[in-house]
Amino acid sequence: MHIMIIGGGQVGSYLAGLLQEAGNRVTVVETRETQITAVQRTAPNTFFFLGDGTDPGVLEAAGIRTAAVVAAVTGADETNLVITSLARFAFDVQRVVARVNNPHNTWMFTPAMGVDVALNQADVMAQLIARAVG
Amino acid sequence: MRVLILGCGRIGTGLVQRLSVSDHSVTVIDPAPKALARLPASFRGRKLVGDVLDRHVLAEAEIERQDALAAVMPSDDVNVVAARLARVVFHVPRVVARVYSPHTTEIYYRLGIQTVSTTSWGINRIAELLSYSELEPVASLGSGVDILDVAVPPLLVGRPISALSRPGEIQVAAISRGGKSFLPQLETLLEAGDLLHLIVLTSATDHLVAILRH
Repeated sequence: MHIMIIGGGQVGSYLAGLLQEAGNRVTVVETRETQITAVQRTAPNTFFFLGDGTDPGVLEAAGIRTAAVVAAVTGADETNLVITSLARFAFDVQRVVARVNNPHNTWMFTPAMGVDVALNQADVMAQLIARAVG
Repeated sequence: MRVLILGCGRIGTGLVQRLSVSDHSVTVIDPAPKALARLPASFRGRKLVGDVLDRHVLAEAEIERQDALAAVMPSDDVNVVAARLARVVFHVPRVVARVYSPHTTEIYYRLGIQTVSTTSWGINRIAELLSYSELEPVASLGSGVDILDVAVPPLLVGRPISALSRPGEIQVAAISRGGKSFLPQLETLLEAGDLLHLIVLTSATDHLVAILRH
């Protein structure tokens, strides 16, 4: 399965590694050229595409039309929402997953914005910690 | 009309002033109190300090009751997201987002968002101004009448010279075509590549510019 990850920071690189180990073909789109080494260290066979994931031309050139899943995991919520809208409504991607950075922004991560699944790190962590404590 | 403006920078402030003149009911949101302080004292609309993507702030601004929304924050992503939310979640009938990035207008239009790229607009306008510098007179026929040479603009190709002539103001004196010049008649059709030699009343130059840009 071809999976496209937008955002090659810590979350994106780690995710790329996990998905690649599971046998997927992974593309990472990232604006910072310096991140290429970090991504290749954690996910050696990943295709690293340098560019802005909110630019439809970049998404197309990086191969979004063959992607079964798109994961928008940049550190900016508004950026992730632009990506999910484009992925769903401009490129008809089947499954769109997004990272929520600020829990207050969760309300915007809905199907109307192209999001199938929204993952909120703070919320996930808080729930796990609460369970461990309780 | 009730208008909500997200962002109180130069464009936001200008929009507020422009819209206040025509008796619209305007609400402005900006995360920086300093930005809102730039609004003139005469501004009678509502000012709200807060994040333009904060649900509670938008509710306080009564986004669902607005007739129109302009997203003019400095970030393209914020503007596009705010505009799409306004359309699909809050059903605001008329929504415009300012973006810097050119080339994306068409794709966002398909997503139901009308965008204005100030960058593309600026590029087109500057190119236009640069390419119309040939409106400098070639010669002057005494005081108040000039001879101008103008390449035929694409929109006038195939039209008769009467589309360009204005009695007493603008006259097509001659046309250079394919290396030869001739004196046209009123029904002569303009062709691509024509160079027009015009006799123009100096006071009608603006009029001519308007016709050429049309």
